[in-house]
Amino acid sequence: MYFVSFILKNLARRPIRTVLTVLGLAVAVGSMIALLAVSYNVERSVEAAFDSRRVDLVVMQKGKPMGWDSEFSEYFVRETAKMPEVERVSEGIVGNANIERDGVLVDLGILLVQGWKPDNFGYEDLQILEGRRLLPGDRRKVMIGSTLANNLKELSKIGPIGHRVGDTLTFVGDPKNPYEIVGIFKSPVIFEDGGAIVPFEDGQELHSKRGKVTGFSVRVRKSAPDSQAEVETVKRKIEALRDPDDPYVVVVADTPDKYVQSVSQLELIRAVSWLVSVIALVVSVISLLNTMTMSVLERTQEIGILRAVGWPRRRVVRMILGEAACLAAAAALVGTVIAFLGMQTLTKMPKVNGFIEPDLSPWVMARGFALTVMVGVVGGAYPAYRAARLLPTEAIRHD
Amino acid sequence: MTDNRNYLGHRNGIPAGRRGECGDYLLYADRLYKTYPDGEVRALNGVSLGVHQGEYVAITGPSGCGKSTLLNMLGVLDVPDNGEIYFRGQPLTTRRDLDNFRARQIGFVFQSFFLIPTLTARENVQVPMFEGPRLSARERAKKADDLLALVGMSQRAHHRPMKLSVGERQRVAIARALANDPVLLLADEPTGNLDSENADKVLDLFTALQKDRNLALIVVTHSDEVAERADRVVKMRDGRVVADSGADIIPTSDSAATS
Repeated sequence: MYFVSFILKNLARRPIRTVLTVLGLAVAVGSMIALLAVSYNVERSVEAAFDSRRVDLVVMQKGKPMGWDSEFSEYFVRETAKMPEVERVSEGIVGNANIERDGVLVDLGILLVQGWKPDNFGYEDLQILEGRRLLPGDRRKVMIGSTLANNLKELSKIGPIGHRVGDTLTFVGDPKNPYEIVGIFKSPVIFEDGGAIVPFEDGQELHSKRGKVTGFSVRVRKSAPDSQAEVETVKRKIEALRDPDDPYVVVVADTPDKYVQSVSQLELIRAVSWLVSVIALVVSVISLLNTMTMSVLERTQEIGILRAVGWPRRRVVRMILGEAACLAAAAALVGTVIAFLGMQTLTKMPKVNGFIEPDLSPWVMARGFALTVMVGVVGGAYPAYRAARLLPTEAIRHD
Repeated sequence: MTDNRNYLGHRNGIPAGRRGECGDYLLYADRLYKTYPDGEVRALNGVSLGVHQGEYVAITGPSGCGKSTLLNMLGVLDVPDNGEIYFRGQPLTTRRDLDNFRARQIGFVFQSFFLIPTLTARENVQVPMFEGPRLSARERAKKADDLLALVGMSQRAHHRPMKLSVGERQRVAIARALANDPVLLLADEPTGNLDSENADKVLDLFTALQKDRNLALIVVTHSDEVAERADRVVKMRDGRVVADSGADIIPTSDSAATS
């Protein structure tokens, strides 16, 4: 018999309690893993997109951490493009929009509609699944992401609504409706996949931002691929720009990773995921503490015998901590399955599936597993301490 | 002048003044005192006792006379308030590795067997081996099989305690006590929960083990039958040894110590 078999047999002694404890922990751990995954996937997809689009700087209005409420004049784009250190710029307009059907609002939650120029960096890693991309001269055309296309397809079962190439979509509040769907795309960025792209000028009108942009990306001419000196120079020059017509508007130029860290929506997701994780961890520790304390109490006499036959305190501690760690490890496994299933379920909900990628990366799973094992150690520490403190003679007499 | 001395400070074996008394005992308890904090009664009141290797000693006496307390002290499950226990001439209470000492030198048998219910007989026997001489899992299993064969339980090796009769449980408990080849076996009312037939079997087994393995056997009992089988009977009353059938009786307590 191995020591670990002994530990597992102890857990099998009260199978219902063990299963319920594991399930309780697994639900908490599952929610923690799912939220960590959502947060991680969003950040990773945005960072990966900037990386594949070879973006060196992201320029947004200062003091507008929400991202899409950033708004400034195209003057900044033009002046930046003139800088000798700048290779290219790519501006965009981003906003939330709603779709209507027969004059009635279709509730899709948050629907991001971007306005892109034909040379937008984003086209470089956009995969056209059906139809075509937007071309120069296109007006009142729209490309929809594959997730949005699926959501609209589901809605079309209730009543007619455009979801295929050649169909039309009507955006609420836009006087120049409807828009013809010319293509369905797949983007590496989750929220792009759940949204739509219209020509830049149409986007400006749709979001009532004529002559404005939400932000723009910059590719810098660099002496070496990883040289940051030129990037820093361009950053300073962009941030020094002032629009003569509106000198109070200030922009910030951040590297993509810094930008991702500063976007308040992502910060919010991160904060919520950590908050829920902390709550889940605390609940898990208390649950495990309860189970293991009960288990030690029930086995007081037995622990006395183990001490009597020569087990030192440290082996008793290892036994109790081992049991707690096994419970936690089982909870981590079941929790991972729960997280995966939960995320799969969320991706079927149109209101949120534009922001969720049902992908559990090894990094997230490892982090969830590590946190859960930590729960096991913390939750088992006090019962182990209690068990180790038992005097053999008193423990054996315990009734 | 009281002889109520505390020898806890003696790290280099038996104090010079006591060497003659300790003789060649395997285990020597030197004037043990114990008062439990929850009561005024002294459980042990200056008890001295020497046990030779291969000797079978029965400790008898009325309930509450300190038999089990003495057994716990001899098995270093508990430490005396005063006094010292010597094993092969070396003091025990100051040792830091008492667990290790217990694992390797002492086997315990209890009235209520105390087998672990989730483990089979074979697995129960292996429990002490985690702390004995280093053995592989295969070696532990093999040794457990051998010990179960020794106590006549081979056929029931894969049964859990609930599936065993009380007599069988006690035999498994004896096999467990022998797991690390101890030189000293301590038994607290080992036949207390057994019918006469099973009690006889257990006592036969004790006798055989004592002879074959040269085990020192100390049994606490109320049973005259158990006491009759012993080489030596020690009677206790009120925390003192009041009679010892052994030839080399050690004074139980000084008159001064009782004052």
